[in-house]
Amino acid sequence: MTQYLIMCRSLTYAQSSARLLERSGITVNVVKAPQTLSSGGCTYALALQKKFDLAVNTLKKNKMISGKMFERSDSGEYIEVKP
Amino acid sequence: MIYLDNAATSMLKPHSVAKAVADAINNMASPGRGGHIPAMRAAETVYNCRAEAAELFNVNSAEQIVFTVNATHGLNIAISSMVKRGDKVVISGFEHNSVTRPLAAAGANIVVAGRCLFDNATLLDDFAKKIKGSKLVVCTHVSNVFGYILPVNEISKLCREESVPLIIDASQSAGLLPINFDSLCADFVAMPGHKGLLGPQGTGILICREVPAPLMHGGSGSDSISQKMPEYLPDRLEAGTLNTAGIAGLLEGIRYVRKRGIENIIDHERKLMKLMVSQLSASNYKLFVGRETMQSGVLSLLPENRDCEALAQRLAAKGICVRSGLHCAPTAHISAGTIESGTVRFSFSPFISPAQIMEVCRVLKHLDIKN
Repeated sequence: MTQYLIMCRSLTYAQSSARLLERSGITVNVVKAPQTLSSGGCTYALALQKKFDLAVNTLKKNKMISGKMFERSDSGEYIEVKP
Repeated sequence: MIYLDNAATSMLKPHSVAKAVADAINNMASPGRGGHIPAMRAAETVYNCRAEAAELFNVNSAEQIVFTVNATHGLNIAISSMVKRGDKVVISGFEHNSVTRPLAAAGANIVVAGRCLFDNATLLDDFAKKIKGSKLVVCTHVSNVFGYILPVNEISKLCREESVPLIIDASQSAGLLPINFDSLCADFVAMPGHKGLLGPQGTGILICREVPAPLMHGGSGSDSISQKMPEYLPDRLEAGTLNTAGIAGLLEGIRYVRKRGIENIIDHERKLMKLMVSQLSASNYKLFVGRETMQSGVLSLLPENRDCEALAQRLAAKGICVRSGLHCAPTAHISAGTIESGTVRFSFSPFISPAQIMEVCRVLKHLDIKN
């Protein structure tokens, strides 16, 4: 199943974003981001499988997009997506 | 035992606080470090506490809630970030050493405004005169010695008119009086977790409108490649491992306060205050009492012809816990004319009953007669 990652600048930011999306009916998990995707070192990300576009739009509407977004391919590789 | 030293620390807590602390010690790791279950459980608890605090104080974002080890820590962050040597800083005449010592250490030119106890009009006039040309105002919401509730909203208005930033010390008001961070318009509000918020010692909160310079530098679990602290809150101010167990307890304390209701808590304490004042009105004790709406659940008194500490010791021997002396607030005692004697302070809590106050008054009357 497709998995998307929305990178967040911090754990707290990821948690605030997750709460916002949950209130909008979008299920996400806060996860430690893969090291290869963390340009500044360690960080956290939102992981979700469904409603990616809706999630991005909701975050944008609330001015809560802070990092890059990735889609995991069947081979397990992460590819940056720009919705 | 009757515990009336809640202005120092609220020893009596909801049972859920100790339970949460024990659960955190047994089941939680460090938040913001790993991605495993105990770390994420800790992260969830810490975030829940930020969110509850943001709700209670009407703060726009949970990121503006920074955990500190106490109110003094938060005040040091805010003051050190805003004050340069020689800056004129206006404070009230009722500040604690947690405000005056960091200001002195920063080399501030400290100007005291408002020395009259329970006199808002004179205090505001003095602030209006002295605030001009200042770089910062630091003001306590409630005097820890006298329970005097300072008109912080009006002081904030004066600050805005002169474009002077404002730091509020909410050590004695958080959990007891409504604090609306959004409408208060302060730059920073510092508070302990272990007083009115009923959390464990070693917890505190700094609410930030600005992003200040960090006081401590170290690991934050974010931007690890950089050798500078992150530019964003709360990571910028939370170097090192957080006190997860303490924060778990604080979360339960805040939940209790929200469930019981701030207005119900202050109403309860004012009833206790009224009872104590009425019981002691015919005694030889000098009571420091203001109008009901100007005073929190803190009552200072002076015994006639007796040392304050001696009275506190006599009360302690009878199982009544109070604090005497200068209460780390010489500025307030200078203002009230009690710098030589100090006072004996009785500070209430949601867990004190009228029957306990009656017992305290009975003992005080007995000691008064024996005097």
